[in-house]
Amino acid sequence: MDNHDDIRSLVGFAVDYARDKVDGIIVRGAVRRNSQIRFSSNSIDVAKRWEELNIEMFIITDGAKTAHVELSATTTDQVKEMVDDTIEFLRRMPESMFFAGVEERILDHKTPKDVRDPKIEDFAEIAPEIVNAAVDAALEEGAKRVAGALKFGSEWYYQLSSYGPEGETESTAYDFNVRAFQEELDYSGQGLSAGTVPSRAESEMVKAGAKAGRLSKQAIGAVQGEPGVYDLVLSPTVAANVLGFVPQSANPFLVLIGMSPLADRMGQQIGPEGVTVWDDPLFPGGLASRGFDFEGTPSKRTTIVENGVLRSFIHNTSTARMYETESTGSSNLLSIGQGLKLLLPTPSNIVFSNGDHTLDELLESDRRTIYVTSNWYTRYQNYQTGDFSTIPRDVTLLIERGEMRPIKNIRISDNVMRMFANIDAVGNDRVQVYWWEVETPTFVPSMRVRDCRITAATQ
Amino acid sequence: MDAESVVHHCIEFGRSIGATYVEARLERRVARGLAFRNGELISGGRSPTEGIGVRLLVDGNAGFASFDRMSRELAEEAVRAAFKMAKNAHRRDPIDLGEPVSNRASWSMDVKTSLSKIDLDTMIDTAKELNAQLNGLAQYTVMINPTITDKYLVTSEGTEVRGHLEHLFIHLLLTAKGEHGSEQSFIDRTLAGGWERIREERLMERTKDDAIRLQRAADDATAVKDLLDRPVDVIVGPQIAGIIAHENVGHPSEGDRIMGREGAQAGESFWRDIRIGETRIGSEAVTVLEDPTVPNTSGFYLYDDEGVRARRRVLIKNGVANEPLLNREFGTRFGMGSNGAARASGYDREPIVRMANTFFEPGDYSFEELVEDIKLGVYMRTFQEWNIDDRRYQSKYTGSEAYLVKDGELTETLVRQPVLETTSVGLLSAADAVSREFKLDFAGTCGKGDPMQGVPVFAGGGHIRFRGIRLGGVG
Repeated sequence: MDNHDDIRSLVGFAVDYARDKVDGIIVRGAVRRNSQIRFSSNSIDVAKRWEELNIEMFIITDGAKTAHVELSATTTDQVKEMVDDTIEFLRRMPESMFFAGVEERILDHKTPKDVRDPKIEDFAEIAPEIVNAAVDAALEEGAKRVAGALKFGSEWYYQLSSYGPEGETESTAYDFNVRAFQEELDYSGQGLSAGTVPSRAESEMVKAGAKAGRLSKQAIGAVQGEPGVYDLVLSPTVAANVLGFVPQSANPFLVLIGMSPLADRMGQQIGPEGVTVWDDPLFPGGLASRGFDFEGTPSKRTTIVENGVLRSFIHNTSTARMYETESTGSSNLLSIGQGLKLLLPTPSNIVFSNGDHTLDELLESDRRTIYVTSNWYTRYQNYQTGDFSTIPRDVTLLIERGEMRPIKNIRISDNVMRMFANIDAVGNDRVQVYWWEVETPTFVPSMRVRDCRITAATQ
Repeated sequence: MDAESVVHHCIEFGRSIGATYVEARLERRVARGLAFRNGELISGGRSPTEGIGVRLLVDGNAGFASFDRMSRELAEEAVRAAFKMAKNAHRRDPIDLGEPVSNRASWSMDVKTSLSKIDLDTMIDTAKELNAQLNGLAQYTVMINPTITDKYLVTSEGTEVRGHLEHLFIHLLLTAKGEHGSEQSFIDRTLAGGWERIREERLMERTKDDAIRLQRAADDATAVKDLLDRPVDVIVGPQIAGIIAHENVGHPSEGDRIMGREGAQAGESFWRDIRIGETRIGSEAVTVLEDPTVPNTSGFYLYDDEGVRARRRVLIKNGVANEPLLNREFGTRFGMGSNGAARASGYDREPIVRMANTFFEPGDYSFEELVEDIKLGVYMRTFQEWNIDDRRYQSKYTGSEAYLVKDGELTETLVRQPVLETTSVGLLSAADAVSREFKLDFAGTCGKGDPMQGVPVFAGGGHIRFRGIRLGGVG
């Protein structure tokens, strides 16, 4: 059963069935279809397809007892069982300290632009050709081996709250990651492309392949990098992972569990004046763009950092009431371990303000500068202080005395709050970043950051 | 149509449309969860999931499709889609799974009191007791998720294997405030087996000990400059031995990485450029094992997700790279056959080469013997921050609880965040002794693949002494 009318009926049935038994219920029925082509050594390894129907419920009883349940349900009997079992489950639960209500108003919402590809059904036919074209583009640029993955698909969902809000949305998405290598393991380059309309992105994907190939060639001859203090130019891929951590930490749940460095920084200057960051669920073409949140609160843009000053956290109804403010329309069910989701504020698209420097201008410096094109394996020693390290991967370039040469085997070992404060120039090349290391879609340009600490293996 | 009949229908339908190999894996998983913040229960939930993943080959091209409702029509649609995608792949080198495998078996994790028998009241009471052990820390978040998984694997080669797993996933996010700042520790205390594992593994006592030790590190740890001035000796505890076994040895030994299949995601491997069976990558003291068959471990299984019987693998033998981890595809490409390393994190993921339980083989030393001839060094008992590059060659482990060792004595001086930042070969070559004492209980979720596949693993070892290490954190 993946007929949309049937799912609407089932969601409606669930709310009607539960209405008299609980304080409140929000039900979302979703159909997701995704495909992926994975390739390595210039050849397709496997093509995959996923088909999923998901009925998700958030149930409130006795004032503030809450529970989540989800199932691939298709019948009213299954739905009744889900509701009844969850009510039984909640009898034994205490009230949640994280619940202070959900959206009770029925409000108009805007529909984000460019979030659906009308040709998605046909894209699977041409996807292998696009992958092969991107591989060929990398090889033409001098790569010897090419690996990557192209994922694409669609999501439709309908949701209904017993408090009144109701909504329906349909979106499509793709993300393409291509990595090119020379024969050597450490001469490599990466190209990424992500968005919502894959059928219009063929040339972007082929360009990503060419970029990966070109960068892998630039890595030839890379020498061991030396530990020390350098200015770093972070590509959008790296800026999204490293600097994107700061706006993503503007979340009261993370503050309350000790996982945010922003607990007592509201109103403070945490970055330079040229840096403004929003959570923007209405950003055109954003992979997390949506018209409303899980509670049915309309989406809106929230300014997290304005000219370097921390201005706002994101909120759902509950955290907004705790913080005596308004919901930012950021409510979502967040998975925290197997079998458990909490209704929490979650970011949508993180959007950094675009700058006015070209990449060449960012790289022009009389100070020792390292250009980091990609990174992975970011880990924190302490989320409250922001002490962390991450590993540059793919071509990494040292700019010194007017010359640029490839280096390798270094690690950024620094503090993310200090790095955010030390942003000293912002590029004009803002793109959407979404891949293995960046799970929150982030629109960000290249960034230059002063005085960063680089370490390397001691033996 | 019942679920097992749908599995068989996938095989028959796949063969009927021309697939040369078809594999269908039904997984049923029932997960329940509770989350607490600073001792207060904040929410609970449960998620029963059921689905079938079908993998097939068409002329050496692979397709995979999954679906989550037990219908004949959906099964056929999925198999047809996988078939069509495989046919369009046009690989230059066809995939060869090697000799057919036709195992029939049923296996289970050792369970005395099934997690399915534990009611919510008992779960809440036990979780409250666990939270009570952490009382006094500045912040603590506890997540407890009993999860039961049943698998039913059938292939067109005649394999039919049933498996049963029970995991009590337990995650602790801890923050201790000291006079000069905070220390954090994110601890995975996952237990494998039934509810009895809580008592057998002394969960409460160990959790209390975790809290006391973290608070002490926050209160008392200081920078010890002498340790940075010259190469020193380092002893690591079983937890750090485990992460080294997993990251510096297990991952680079994965056959698919060595051959480049994870190139764009989890990366490749420095093992590509060595001669397996010949190249020395560690000292004589280093033997690292991989074994899914150890009872009551997170990585436990007796048949892998391709139906191959599991066995112990010797990854490094006395310092020499010995054996990669292999599934059927890469077993064929290496000319060695599968050694039973194929795992999928759920019904909706393809089986790929994974670790299970990875550990240093115990040595002959007591802890006291490791310490007694160290002039200056550090004993790193636990770590917090870590990472390793995608060839698995340069790693960093930052100590959480660490003690100064001086003139053959373990002192009570807590060293603040010593950094072990080395290459894999540099580190393994510096090991000169391993303790008799041995623990295989360092739990984690190993990530790999795209889409990400997190699978439960254990790692461990004894205490290991590394000679002449220049600690990092400089530059």
